[in-house]
Amino acid sequence: MRQPADEPDGLVLQPRDVAFDWAGLPMHWIPGEPMATHVVNVLHLLLPEGERWFVRTFQEALPLITDDELREQVLGFIGQEALHADAHEGVLDHLHARGLDPGPYLRHVEFVFRRVLGERPGLPPHRARAYLTERVALIAGIEHVTAFLGDWVLNARGLDRAGADPTMLDLLRWHGAEEVEHRSVAYDLLRHLDPGYVRRTRAMFIAGPVLVRLWISGTRFLMAADPELPARSRPTWRGYTAAARRGLLPDPRRAARSAGRYFRPGYHPTHEGSTRQAVAYLGTSPAARAAAH
Amino acid sequence: MPSRPDTPPPAALFGRPRQDRFLRFLTHFADRYLALTTRTDPTGRHPATSRPPLRLTVTDRRAVAEDVVALRLAAADGTPLPPWRPGAHLDLRLPSGRTRQYSLCGDPAERHAYRIAVRRLPGGGGGSVEVHDTLTPGARVTVAGPRNAFPFAAQDRVLLLAGGIGVTPILPMAHEAARRGLDWRLVHCGRTRASLPLADELAALDARHPGRVHVRADDEHGPPDAARLLADAPPGAAVYCCGPGPLLDAVRAAFEASPAGALHAERFTAPPVVDGRPFSLRLRRSGTVLSVPADRTALDVLRAEDPATASSCRQGFCGVCRVRVLAGPVEHRDRRLTPAERAAGDMLVCVSRAPEGACLELDL
Ligand code: FES
Ligand SMILES: [Fe+2]
Ligand SMILES: [Fe+2]
Repeated sequence: MRQPADEPDGLVLQPRDVAFDWAGLPMHWIPGEPMATHVVNVLHLLLPEGERWFVRTFQEALPLITDDELREQVLGFIGQEALHADAHEGVLDHLHARGLDPGPYLRHVEFVFRRVLGERPGLPPHRARAYLTERVALIAGIEHVTAFLGDWVLNARGLDRAGADPTMLDLLRWHGAEEVEHRSVAYDLLRHLDPGYVRRTRAMFIAGPVLVRLWISGTRFLMAADPELPARSRPTWRGYTAAARRGLLPDPRRAARSAGRYFRPGYHPTHEGSTRQAVAYLGTSPAARAAAH
Repeated sequence: MPSRPDTPPPAALFGRPRQDRFLRFLTHFADRYLALTTRTDPTGRHPATSRPPLRLTVTDRRAVAEDVVALRLAAADGTPLPPWRPGAHLDLRLPSGRTRQYSLCGDPAERHAYRIAVRRLPGGGGGSVEVHDTLTPGARVTVAGPRNAFPFAAQDRVLLLAGGIGVTPILPMAHEAARRGLDWRLVHCGRTRASLPLADELAALDARHPGRVHVRADDEHGPPDAARLLADAPPGAAVYCCGPGPLLDAVRAAFEASPAGALHAERFTAPPVVDGRPFSLRLRRSGTVLSVPADRTALDVLRAEDPATASSCRQGFCGVCRVRVLAGPVEHRDRRLTPAERAAGDMLVCVSRAPEGACLELDL
């Protein structure tokens, strides 16, 4: 286990104004690995809607924050997520231009984040606040997952070995590094609004399986809609574990263990992942460096 | 467009054309679940926490170069202060109400005092002059932080580049690099040797680690050449650069062609307002009229009125501070909104303004 004591902390969070050029991105940007490519591509489908929902939810929570420092952290977080959403949307546009229409699946994602978890006008004030806290708890759970994925992609040497597209790797690692950088914010905000154990773990209990289910259907959808794959291509569990063994996808056992740690009473996101590694990556990232100009 | 609460789930992705079963299940589940879990409001059941700002006393002050003083700040009762790591800064709230950020340049292991160094800039916003004139030993000052906008990742090979007073965050990085046994080099540039702050400490560091510290004064070596500075970086080294804008720009420009592998610089949020004119804002809901002075942004003024005002980048690219303008001419200065969004009345209040004397009516 890494030592949080040896890590930079109290980071000032700020969005980075990154830009990516997808003109040269091949459909299977992990060469010869369409399934692994599409498992990762599900991010581009889920994140623009999902992260904009984070932004709306946290904006709604701002008036409830009484700690100046936490408010600054939340503001930094919101901007980073807004830019993540934009960056992934850029990939979607590219997929579409290459003949893969993400529309049908996007309508599912929109339904989840706008109808199931969207505004519920007309709630009495105490219920509206409780609904807000409930959404913050879901976001804290999802942010545990994104920090796990961020840490994974920063260390996924298998992707380099497989010759994955460098611009896509930079997008994933810039995003992953910012996820690690801001991994405590949603959790700290939840603790600010409701320090209880029950709401936090209950939310993860729901968010985890729903996310897995959305991921599976997203991969199925992408493989079926990919014009460069034979008709009726499907993802398989065997294919997943084989790709995970080659380091192209996260190891499911590690993912399960990480999710389990969220249920420990003494859990804090700073115990997962390394701020130092995230900061170091952001110094090398071509997109993040260009954004600093 | 937010979907209405009664929107039906979209069609299933596979199989017969019908509503997606999983989404239908999710909708029913969420509606029941929320009906149960939102019966009681969790907020307010627990006292809201907030850390009060630190009140510190100046316990020592000494000149460390022409026009530069170093201040030691400690709690009046000697209690230990919050910990920090190299690259961290404090927000000093000066007696005039100005807030200024200064990098911590002491030893993170020293838990009872912070040290900052401040160069007197007579042409600046007045903050450094105020520090020089009012923060004498015994003076009280309120600080927020420490926060870190320039974190040090302690890579195996590092090149630390400091220009003038920019050495303040760099010095603790050099100490940490030495402590960790990294392959590090530090170059300190400035006009003249006498103008370089903390020279005695760098000399002591050099004595302990021969060949790692280099001081170059323009009047001896000519103006610094960023390409040359970077050419000496160990291959793949992480460069940490802090100094005046032109030095930073030159280092950025020369970076790609250099052997270095990573570049880190301090990240500042809000750039100063350039070419601003005073104007005013009227808030629709309350009817309040707020005036925006030439040197402040509309966002600053709105945040002073309501701390929960949303914003993030404060540079006009993230879109978080978007506000709907109901009336009045907007001078758009962002790099995000589309012409259609502008035509619809959107405005990014962190950068955009209005002509002198104009009033913008905001949907707030
Ligand atoms: S705060 Fe980012 S655009 Fe205004
Ligand atoms: Fe994100
Ligand atoms: Fe995130």
